[in-house]
Amino acid sequence: MEVEIRNRPAFANLLVNLQPGDRIIAEADAMASMSSTVDMTTRMNGGLFRALARRFLGSESMFVNQFTTNSSGHIVLTQPFPGDIVCVELRGNTLFLQPGAFLACEPGISLGLGFAGLRSWLSGEGLFRLKMSGTGRIWFGAYGAIFTREITDEYIVDTGHLVAYEPTVSIRVGLAGGIFSSFFSGEGLITRVRGPGKIYMQSRSFDGLAAWTNSHLW
Amino acid sequence: MLDPNQQFRGGVFHSSIPDGRIGADIRITPSEIIAEPSAEALTVMDPSQVARMPRWVIPLSECQVDLGGASGRMVFCRNKERDLTIFCEERGFAAMLGDRSGGMLSEQLHVVKKRQAGENHRFRFWLTVGVVATLLFGVIGYYSVLAAARLAIAAVPISMDEKIGSMAMQTIEKEQKLAADHPATKFVTEIVDRLKPHAAIPEMNFKVIVIESSEVNAFALPGGQMVVYTGLLKKAESGEQVAGVLAHEMSHATLRHGLQRVSQSLGIVAAIQFLIGDAGGLLALGSQAAQTSILTSYSRQSETEADLEGARMLHEAGLDPESISAFFDKLKKEDGDIPGVLVWVSSHPLHEQRIESIAKFKSTLAKKEYTPLDLDLATVKESLK
Ligand SMILES: [Zn+2]
Repeated sequence: MEVEIRNRPAFANLLVNLQPGDRIIAEADAMASMSSTVDMTTRMNGGLFRALARRFLGSESMFVNQFTTNSSGHIVLTQPFPGDIVCVELRGNTLFLQPGAFLACEPGISLGLGFAGLRSWLSGEGLFRLKMSGTGRIWFGAYGAIFTREITDEYIVDTGHLVAYEPTVSIRVGLAGGIFSSFFSGEGLITRVRGPGKIYMQSRSFDGLAAWTNSHLW
Repeated sequence: MLDPNQQFRGGVFHSSIPDGRIGADIRITPSEIIAEPSAEALTVMDPSQVARMPRWVIPLSECQVDLGGASGRMVFCRNKERDLTIFCEERGFAAMLGDRSGGMLSEQLHVVKKRQAGENHRFRFWLTVGVVATLLFGVIGYYSVLAAARLAIAAVPISMDEKIGSMAMQTIEKEQKLAADHPATKFVTEIVDRLKPHAAIPEMNFKVIVIESSEVNAFALPGGQMVVYTGLLKKAESGEQVAGVLAHEMSHATLRHGLQRVSQSLGIVAAIQFLIGDAGGLLALGSQAAQTSILTSYSRQSETEADLEGARMLHEAGLDPESISAFFDKLKKEDGDIPGVLVWVSSHPLHEQRIESIAKFKSTLAKKEYTPLDLDLATVKESLK
């Protein structure tokens, strides 16, 4: 299965070329266009309970779509916000995704929703996180550009910017500076991540967008 | 208890691996930690890569352990050069490490756990501080908004009350309205005229109409327009009792409780618009809110204020302040259990407290001979039959 990430980084989308026997699983709303030779089946995402949990706790869809073909064909998959998409290949390891970031994966990947904890919630990453494990490629998107960093020690990320991380990475919340400078510098809380492991960050945050929009509403 | 051949699922970080990491199966022998690429991982690798995949070994004697990861329970084992990391989160892995190393690694892990506990403790402390501070901010913010709304309302001209009141008046059914020369209309108008000079805003344009309805109800709209239902007049035992209700309702108007309701239900935006005087926008917003149900259901605080202000007015007008309590005390006792009919009572709950606070207020006023109203309620009741 050939997958190309096009129009990077601002309006990235996936062009998936399917051959007989290929299968790709995508977030329910992701399909923008496809060949008439491609078959789409909708299935509940990992059983009713897990699907419900994923829908209401992880802000992902209850259903995922599975695309196959008997001859050949292509599909275009997009994410609902402007930004880059990256591909990560899992080889028996695990990756945690921020709710809403998931776009597509190969059938060897299993999706689960896990409680991420208060620390994650305070750092703007949500109370729950998507756990991707198994073997195969996954594609996920972000708001803005995506940059990765291999961290060995401690690293600081602004809240709301962390998109994905490995389970070997720990997350703590902290103040950007002292109590006063934290409140008045506009930085407020920050996320302290600690390696070893890889983290994926987005260059924009949804909180930032919300704040900007609010400031222009009145 | 521990199965010496147990395999654990985990992973390895090493520069020899493409992309630096791989899922691995881990065993602990009496002298070494051995990790091999998991079968699952090998399925997606190139055969040429698979052939070059080594097994990774850390001698227990030089192993440095650490705890961390997203769950806080990930165990990291590093070699002396710290360029190889084997990690595992599975239950029993730490115990096996301790067992095989003769307790040496358990001690290391214990030190790390203590450090973690300290961190958790600090986190919980600051979380509590944060939650308390946020609540405090919220409460202060809430009351500041209320205070700001009050200030804003004081800056708004009375003509605004009148506009909102008229708008609300249009939505009221007036088919059953009694004529201006009907004895009942004349009766309530006379009471209002007697109370008017003692109102907090005497120049307010008080008007009262009577509507034929079995509802035992009366209300005032912003700006001073009032509605009395004939059901209330039929229930009243004396002119004073009607005067008590009217004094209470007139106080809602002079204390501008309707505007407070509007500004609270429309939120801070409207309050700011009040301040900068954007009347057009407010009227547009107000038209949605200008339903009597919104304008005439007040907070407990507003009700108490209206009681006390009404009592003051009655006292100044030479009428007994306890007329306010007298009427709903009677209604409560007689028909307290008939729902729906006694609208005025049900929109004014907490009788006992109100009766008490009016009595208390009366005791603070200068002693005065109260003169009964020289009005004929019996004739009015006769005319309503
Ligand atoms: Zn009232």
